[in-house]
Amino acid sequence: MTTNAMPQAATAGPRATEPTTPLTYQPNVDIRDEGAVVVFDADMPGATPADIAVTFEDGVLSVRATVPARDLPGRAIRQEYGIGDYRRSFRLGEGFDASQITADYARGVLSVRVPRLAAVRPCKVEVRAV
Amino acid sequence: MTTFRTGFALPMEDLRDEFDRLWTSLTAAPPLHGWGLRPDGAFPAVNVRESGKAITIEAEVPGLDTADVDISVTGEELVLKGSRRGGCEAANGRSPDDGTEPKVTWHRRERGTGMFERRIPMPVAVDAARVEARLVNGVLTVTCPKAPEAQPHRVEVRSA
Repeated sequence: MTTNAMPQAATAGPRATEPTTPLTYQPNVDIRDEGAVVVFDADMPGATPADIAVTFEDGVLSVRATVPARDLPGRAIRQEYGIGDYRRSFRLGEGFDASQITADYARGVLSVRVPRLAAVRPCKVEVRAV
Repeated sequence: MTTFRTGFALPMEDLRDEFDRLWTSLTAAPPLHGWGLRPDGAFPAVNVRESGKAITIEAEVPGLDTADVDISVTGEELVLKGSRRGGCEAANGRSPDDGTEPKVTWHRRERGTGMFERRIPMPVAVDAARVEARLVNGVLTVTCPKAPEAQPHRVEVRSA
């Protein structure tokens, strides 16, 4: 796979392949390619930075989060979503600088920036008149 | 007033506009309520709990700041309104170091954007003046104390 190709989900189906708890969800993500960097924004509400693990190994970017239980008083009278861990992986291939990957978590959204190696970044070549 | 078009080029402009609209719908972020494929498409999804003293509503609203959410409560229902931005500024407000707009290619856009409004009926009357809301790490928790008349009242049994 070339480095400019679309990142592929490394896991299939609505759930991750190796759930660690009865409830493990795949977060919704936006993936945008800015040329020098590929940015992953993942909705992961309820986590904290200390609970989130981001790894890049063998060309696969993985995000995981352990979400603590939220203890609310009383009995449930409406339950529209479950609370659980997050896990999702994407196969990016080669050509990325693993040492320069950054991850920020704010307002329940994890933003991972994966920069391309300088040697494979797209660049514009000026055409000179001879 | 009805206007009549002349010439052959105008119908093609309509066709071009249709393609523009179709292309925009395919490349834009999905609306918060999804593409209509989810049966439970209301946003945000909520969990509601009832205790003796309060109704607690919890909603996952990642990416929203306190200024993006508007909460109003009557005795009978709670209304959540707001909007979530899309694009490069949505997640953490970061832009390229040189301040220019990056040339962006979207590979996935699963996170919905746009405006939302959700009305949640209250099972009992609540004290609207004492409602409290907290937004932490994308989780909104609204605590609605029950109105005094709706709280359980313990009746002492007197011995005869």
